[in-house]
Amino acid sequence: MDGLESAQFSMPWIIGLLVLFYGGTFWISLKIRKRKENADSYMTGGHNVGFGISAGSMTATWIWASSMYAAATSGYTYGISGPIHYGLWGALMILFIYPFGKRIRAVAPRAHTLAEVMFARHGRSSQLLLAGSNVVGSLISLMSNFIAGGVLISLLSPFNFTQGVLTVAAGVLLYTLWSGFRTSVLTDFIQVVAMLGAVAVIVPAIFFAAGFPAAFESGAANLTPEQGNFFSSEAFLNQGAPYIAAVLAYAIGNQTIAQRLFAVKSTLIRPTFVTATIGYGSMVIGVGMLGVLALYLGVEPVGGDVNNLIPQMAAQYLPIGLLALFFIMIIGALSSTADSDLAALSSIVMTDVYGQNVAGKAKAKPTTMLLIGRLTMVVATALAVIFASFQLNILDLLVFVGALWGALVFPVIASFYWKKVTNKAFTVSVVVALAVFIPVRFGVIPMVGPVGIVVDILSVIGIGVVLGLMAFGFFGLRPALVIGGVAAVASAPFVIGFLHQYATLSGSLVAYAVSAVVCWAMSVRSSHQFDFGEIARRTGDYATEHDDDTDPQAASAAAASRSRDLDPTP
Amino acid sequence: METIALSAYVLIWPLIALGVLVVITVAFFKEWARSRREGRDII
Repeated sequence: MDGLESAQFSMPWIIGLLVLFYGGTFWISLKIRKRKENADSYMTGGHNVGFGISAGSMTATWIWASSMYAAATSGYTYGISGPIHYGLWGALMILFIYPFGKRIRAVAPRAHTLAEVMFARHGRSSQLLLAGSNVVGSLISLMSNFIAGGVLISLLSPFNFTQGVLTVAAGVLLYTLWSGFRTSVLTDFIQVVAMLGAVAVIVPAIFFAAGFPAAFESGAANLTPEQGNFFSSEAFLNQGAPYIAAVLAYAIGNQTIAQRLFAVKSTLIRPTFVTATIGYGSMVIGVGMLGVLALYLGVEPVGGDVNNLIPQMAAQYLPIGLLALFFIMIIGALSSTADSDLAALSSIVMTDVYGQNVAGKAKAKPTTMLLIGRLTMVVATALAVIFASFQLNILDLLVFVGALWGALVFPVIASFYWKKVTNKAFTVSVVVALAVFIPVRFGVIPMVGPVGIVVDILSVIGIGVVLGLMAFGFFGLRPALVIGGVAAVASAPFVIGFLHQYATLSGSLVAYAVSAVVCWAMSVRSSHQFDFGEIARRTGDYATEHDDDTDPQAASAAAASRSRDLDPTP
Repeated sequence: METIALSAYVLIWPLIALGVLVVITVAFFKEWARSRREGRDII
């Protein structure tokens, strides 16, 4: 008896919950709807969003349904340290990117996308690498959130998977379409309140209902010595370390995070990031603890699928009212990320495709941009629903996007601090890093003999790059070089001859190492001296206070006026 | 002793989540009240 059959919501219950959730978020979108929506507000909320909404939105966006499932899976697989190796590193990454966020915002105070900033810093190929990686990443994320919604609804209600996917897709599109990013962040706030409240209630409720703390003693035999060890090396090598490398890349490369960075009031960046760090950590680790409890209880996941663990625990131990709260928590987690993906995709197409590569910044019309943004959301939702039916391997796709972003991390960060980095160095370093990553990650070349040693040496450099970048944000160049160097030297004896057996971790580290080495080598002798002030001058709002949806001529005139400011000729 | 430590380890996270919930909710309502006083949208 897994509890799932008996705990299904009846048709009126599930319809009531979905109407409550998506009807409520749609009502919010109607309340903040403007007759004349502004293209810049649609993308960034006017760069002036307050602390409460920003911190809530940053937390909600960073958490998707897979975060909850994966944290519990980590707890179930690796034991008591498992949730830490998923949630703590993910949380700390939000903190580690905060100094870079401050720098990015300082040099590009009114930008909309990171790719747009790369266009101003380098040129088209760098911009398109970032924009392309984000389109692929956000589509995959959208698809996986729809799949998670479909699976949850089919598990806990009489609806089937396809009906669940369509309901979630329609619900998210319905409330995000009109006001874009503004709706996304405001509903994120409501959703994160529901999620935090749910974690605060559900985890203790399951803990006591399942017979803990006594079950810690009666179920101790269900854990292997490694699972019972808080300092498990297996948990660190298989879960923690690959995740550290992956999430740093996600945090830097992902437009959903960058969009919130460009939206929050610049004086509130630090408290926003710190609060999101604590909020993410507590929520994801808290849910991950359900996996640890399941391990002590000797629970077997239904159908052998560990993604069923959380619904299974909830169905078995929660009364119907709390099960409804659990359902809202998961639907909130996946919807908040899905609406962020829609907002990110629309911004990329509005800014990086139409604004800078089709119309050109000077001729871009805010009204046309808004139409394109809304059409992008509709098309992206349709594509994600279609892809969801293909049952693609999401993990492989995410690993690929993670590596693409991993290859981008050093060139992107260096581009904000080092005047010598050129468009050629940026582009070549990313492409070469990807070319090396693919055979390592997917085992195209057997990792034996000298090949394995070379991969291990690159991994050692990758460790130095990752830790050096983290230190650089907080302490500057010299401490970063020392910390990165010491980390590389100290890890070498343990890594060389060994780490190439862990393809996921090696692949990520190799992507970091190769892009850093190539970018540095191509830039160090360059005579290029970029003026960072150019970025602020080349990026900025498309609409002004006087731009108006009904007056495209006025918008064009304003844009033309701005273009004169950007014109380098006297 | 180990049971108490494990219980605290599991239950501390919902407690922190509750703390974050209070912080961002209070901040939101302060911002909402301020925006109403100033006659502008909260976002």
